[in-house]
Amino acid sequence: MKTSINQIKRAGWVLGLATLLVACDKTIDEPQRDSYVPVSTDEKAGTWKTYQLSSATEIPVAEPKAVSSPEYIAELASLKKQSANLTKEQREAVEYWGAGAVYRWNEIARELSARYNIPPAYNAEGKYPVPDAANPLADPKFPFANPPYTSRALAYLSVAQYDALVAAWNYKYQFKRPAPSRTDATIKAALPVSDIPTYPSEDAVVAAASFTVLKAMFPGEVPFLEAKMKQHRESRLWAGMNVESDLLAGADLGNAVAAKVMARAKTDGMGAANNQTLTAGMIAKAKERGLREAWVSQELPVRPPMLPNYGAVLPWNFDLATVVALRAVPPPALDSEEFKQNLEELRKIQKNQTREQARIANYWSDGAGSYTPPGHWHRTAANVSHEARHSEVRMARTLALLGTSQMDAAIVCWDTKYYYYYPRPQQFGVKTSVGLPNFPSYTSGHSTFSGAAATVLAYLFPDQAETFQKQAEEASVSRIYGLIHYRFDCEVGLKAGEEVGKYAIARARADGATL
Amino acid sequence: MKKITNCILVSLLLLVGKAMAQMPHDAIYMGKGAVCVATMYGKSTWSDYWENSLKRSNFNIGTHTTQNIMVMPAIGITNRLNVILSLPYVWTQTSAGNLLGQKGFQDLSGWLKYRVLNTHGFSLHAVAGASLPIGNYVPDFMPMSIGLQCRTVSGRLIASYKHPQTGLYATAHGTYMWRSNIKSDRDAYQADDRVYNTDEISVPNAYDMGLRLGILRKKWQTELWAERTSCTHGDYIRRHDMPFPTNNMQATTVGWYGKFQPNKIGVNARVGYVTDGRNVGQSTSYSVGVLYLFKL
Repeated sequence: MKTSINQIKRAGWVLGLATLLVACDKTIDEPQRDSYVPVSTDEKAGTWKTYQLSSATEIPVAEPKAVSSPEYIAELASLKKQSANLTKEQREAVEYWGAGAVYRWNEIARELSARYNIPPAYNAEGKYPVPDAANPLADPKFPFANPPYTSRALAYLSVAQYDALVAAWNYKYQFKRPAPSRTDATIKAALPVSDIPTYPSEDAVVAAASFTVLKAMFPGEVPFLEAKMKQHRESRLWAGMNVESDLLAGADLGNAVAAKVMARAKTDGMGAANNQTLTAGMIAKAKERGLREAWVSQELPVRPPMLPNYGAVLPWNFDLATVVALRAVPPPALDSEEFKQNLEELRKIQKNQTREQARIANYWSDGAGSYTPPGHWHRTAANVSHEARHSEVRMARTLALLGTSQMDAAIVCWDTKYYYYYPRPQQFGVKTSVGLPNFPSYTSGHSTFSGAAATVLAYLFPDQAETFQKQAEEASVSRIYGLIHYRFDCEVGLKAGEEVGKYAIARARADGATL
Repeated sequence: MKKITNCILVSLLLLVGKAMAQMPHDAIYMGKGAVCVATMYGKSTWSDYWENSLKRSNFNIGTHTTQNIMVMPAIGITNRLNVILSLPYVWTQTSAGNLLGQKGFQDLSGWLKYRVLNTHGFSLHAVAGASLPIGNYVPDFMPMSIGLQCRTVSGRLIASYKHPQTGLYATAHGTYMWRSNIKSDRDAYQADDRVYNTDEISVPNAYDMGLRLGILRKKWQTELWAERTSCTHGDYIRRHDMPFPTNNMQATTVGWYGKFQPNKIGVNARVGYVTDGRNVGQSTSYSVGVLYLFKL
C-alpha cells in the first residue's frame, strides 16, 4: 500500500512539473517578416498611372550631387560612422523596417484602426457623444474607426504611398544614384542591396507620405507616428542603406504628394457622412417602396446608425452615378415566403450552432477592437505581396488597388443599406455569437468587402485566385453563422463586391504596370 | 478509520462569464479509503461590472447569469493525502441585449492535498493542482464564454488552527496559478494597446489569498470567508470595449459556507458577494450541493 501511494505521489509530481513547464511558456510566436531583394526593380514604374498626381513629375525633385562630389563623399563618411557598431535596439529597428516601408506603414495603420475601433459609450443623459477631431483623446476618442472609416483611411494611405513612389521611381531612374555601399565598398549594408537607385529614398518617401495621411486620420496619435517616422528614417542610416540627402529628398517628395492626396480627402464628402438628419427621409422613402418594418437600432439607449450618408462619399474607381447603378436589387418583402425561410435558417443555426460554424464566424468577425474587414484584406494583400517579393512601388500598387476597392465597396454597400433600410434578424428575436453592428442589414458589408478584395487579389495573384475566392465565400457565410445576416444579404453583397472589384481591375489593366 | 469523514468543497469564484473552480482551501481531509462525491448547482449573477476601474452597468447586458452543475469527488488516499477532482458543466445568458449564451463542459481540475504538519491544533498543508479544458468552448467571446481554455498548474499553502474542544477554526491560504497560453479562432487580436498577428493569446498568471473563520463539528460546519484573487499583470477593459482573456481580473469576495452531514448523505451551501474588483462583474453567487459519502 505504501509503495503504491509513493508511486502515486511521484507520478503526481512528474505530471505537475510537466504541466508546469507547459503552462509557464508565455512567449507569443508571431510571424516574422524578413527583408529581401525584390524580384523586379520595376524600372518603368515612373510611368505608371497615378491617382491624384497629374504626372510623376508634378512635384519637382532637385538633381542630387554627383557621387564623386565632396558633399557626397562627406555624406558617405558620415553614413559609415552611423552604420558601424549598432546597439541591439538599432539592429532590431533595422530589421523591423527592413521588412518593407509600405508593409510596415500599412501594418501600423491597421494597428491604429484596431485601437480606435470602439463605438462611443452612452453618457449620463443616455446620448452618444460624437467623437471630436479637434479633441481626439477625450471620451469618446476620435475617430471611431469603423469599417467605412478604416476603408477610407487605408485607401488614402495606400494611394498616397503609391503616387509618391511612382514619382520617386521616376526620379530614381532619372538620376540613377547607386546605393551607398556600391560607391563605397567599406560601407557594410545591414540589409540586402538591390539595383534600385537610392535617390530619393523610397523609405523616406513612404514614411513622410504615410505620416501625412495618418496624422489626419488619427490626430490623437501624432507623437506615436512621429516616433515611428523618426525610427524609420534613422534605421536607414543605421543600416547603411541611404545617405542624408536621399532621405531629405524622399521626405520632401512624400510630404508634397501626400498633401495633394489629402486635398481630395477634404472634399470627398466624408464630412457629411454622419448626417443623421437624413435618416427620417431615408426611412420614409424605403417605406414608400413597400418596406413594412424599418431597421431600428437594437442598442439601449438607441444608437444613431453608423454613417448613414457614407453612400454619398466620392468613390475611387467609378463615379457617384455608378454607385446607384451598382445598388443591389430589392431584398425579399418581410412577409414573403423567402424571408421566412431565411429567418428560419438563422433560428435553426442559433439552436444548434456547430463549433466549426462558430469558428468561421469568429475568424472573420473583425468587429469592435479589430482592424475591420478592410484591414483584414489589407493584411492579406500586404502578406501576399511580401511573399511575392514585390518592390516597394509594386506593393504600394497592390495595396492601392485593393484599398480603393475596399473604400468603393463600403460606399456601394452603405448606399444600399440606407436605401433599403432593412431590419436585422435581431429585430425578430435572433441572438448573435459575434456582436451586432449598428446599421441596416441588407446587404452584408463583410460580403461586399470580401467580394471586392478577392476579385482584385485574384487578378493580381492569379495563381492564388481560388484561395481568395474561398476566403471571400467563407467571410460572407460567416455572417450567417454569426447570426447577424440573412443568406440573401450575404449572397447579394458578395456579388456586388465582385462588381466593385472589377472597376479596380479595369484601372489595373490600364495603369502601365502590367501584372 | 474515522466513522465520519469530512467532505471537501471547492468554492466557485465567478469572474466575468467564468466559473473558476477554486482549489480546495480548507484543512479538512477524507480518511484513508473514504470518498465523498459532491454534486452541486451554482448560480452567479451581476448587473454592474468594472470596466477597468470604472464601475458601470450596461443596458445591453442587463443582468448576466452564469450557472453550473458540477461533480466533485474527494478521495482519501491516506489520512493526510487526498485527491480531489471536479468537472463543471456551465451555461451563460444575459437578460438584455442580443449576445448568444454559451454552454458546455468546462475544465477538468484535480488537486493533491497533503498535510505537512499537524500539532496542537495547528496544521500546515500543501496543495498541488492542475486543470485541463475538456470542452471545445470559445474562450474570447467574453463575457459569454464559459471559461478561458487555459491549462493551469497551481501551488497552494494552507495554514490552519482548530480549537480541539469547540471546533472553532481559522484558516488562511495563498495560491499561485500558472496559466498556459490559449488559442483564439481569430489570427489577430488586440491586447496591451497593440495588435498581435497570431491566434496565440498570453493569459496572465494569477494568485489568490483567503481567510476563513468558522466552526467545524462532526455533523456540521459554518464558516465566514473572504478571498482576494488577482492576475499578476494584464491589460484592462478599454472604454466601452468587451473584456478579453488578457485582462488583469481582480476581485475581493466575501461569503458564507455551511455544511450539514448527519451520515452518508449531506448537504452544503455557499454564498459569495464581490465587494471590489477590476475587469470583472460584481457578482452575487450561491451554490447548493448534495454530498454522498462511501468507503472504497
